[in-house]
Amino acid sequence: MFINWALQEINLKIVYYGPGMSGKTTNLEYIHSKLDPSLKGELVSLKTKEDRTIFFDFMQIEVGRIKGKKPKFNLYTVPGQVYYASSRKVILNGVDGIVFVADSQPHRMEANIETLLDLESNLKQDNQSLEEFPWVIQYNKRDLPGAESIDVLQKRLNFFNVPHFEAVAVRGDGVFNTLKAVINSVVQNVQNQL
Amino acid sequence: MVQTRKLKDGSRQVILNGKQYEVITKVLSELAAKTKASAILFADMSGQLISQRGNVEEMNTTVLSALAASDFAATSEMAKLVGEEAKFKLLFHEGEKRNVYLSNVGDDFFLVVVFDVSVTLGLIRIYTKKAIEDLTAALEEEAGSEASDENIIDSDFSTLLGNALDDSFK
Repeated sequence: MFINWALQEINLKIVYYGPGMSGKTTNLEYIHSKLDPSLKGELVSLKTKEDRTIFFDFMQIEVGRIKGKKPKFNLYTVPGQVYYASSRKVILNGVDGIVFVADSQPHRMEANIETLLDLESNLKQDNQSLEEFPWVIQYNKRDLPGAESIDVLQKRLNFFNVPHFEAVAVRGDGVFNTLKAVINSVVQNVQNQL
Repeated sequence: MVQTRKLKDGSRQVILNGKQYEVITKVLSELAAKTKASAILFADMSGQLISQRGNVEEMNTTVLSALAASDFAATSEMAKLVGEEAKFKLLFHEGEKRNVYLSNVGDDFFLVVVFDVSVTLGLIRIYTKKAIEDLTAALEEEAGSEASDENIIDSDFSTLLGNALDDSFK
């Protein structure tokens, strides 16, 4: 979190984390397509020619002034592919809240778990941990036939019982609820610690 | 010092007071005047733009800061891979019309100078070095008591923020 008293700005960094192809970029694209132009900046995507995120996607959104302060949210995604491990780590620098975008398809369960462990180990290197950190889970691709039940997903992935949301990011279902929840978690977290 | 609070969960809160912001902006203005740089940005390593000077209207400086921060992050990984123990201190991108000179300011901040190829790199280097010294001094200066005790985010704030988010996401 970065606070600039001269400009009365509060800046938060939210990172969308998750395995490859789980829909992190799709979340940002949907938010970008729906927000009023006055509230959003450009959506920048660093992609390979196969459309995989190679470094990150970035977008800044605002909601106007609140009690004289101007909150700004910097949204980032990380590349999901395993071989981009070090770019995932650097994007977590200064993170305030995380959305873990899980893929609901049964054959992606291992990838979800592996990425969650990777997230925990990256946070640990910075003396942080998923147990304490403000984060939420989004179970994406709920519309796909054969999607794993929420019960199973919850048991395997949500071991700290953080807020969770069902989503179909391509249609926008659950996208704003997820974003609102993570912002809420960050704000609560700051309040509790002051 | 810039006020940095470490929260219980390990996340970092950086607070810049009005006076520090004023000094930073002044240093950037001087650097812009002396170097004729097209744009000068001061940002933190998480990609957060703090202050800017020059012809910044024609550039998306928010995105430029985010990209520059990741540039630093990527090259510090590169440094490790090639056996360099410290981080690389400066990065230089040479273009046909414009060059970009990036230099870190302590561990947590950096400076981006965008300038036309007609300006010599040596000139940029000399004045940037001086600006970095001034910025470092400004950041290390004792933070006044201004606003540091004020609750930045109270329960009222989070309710209003929630409503604002609902409005924006309609």
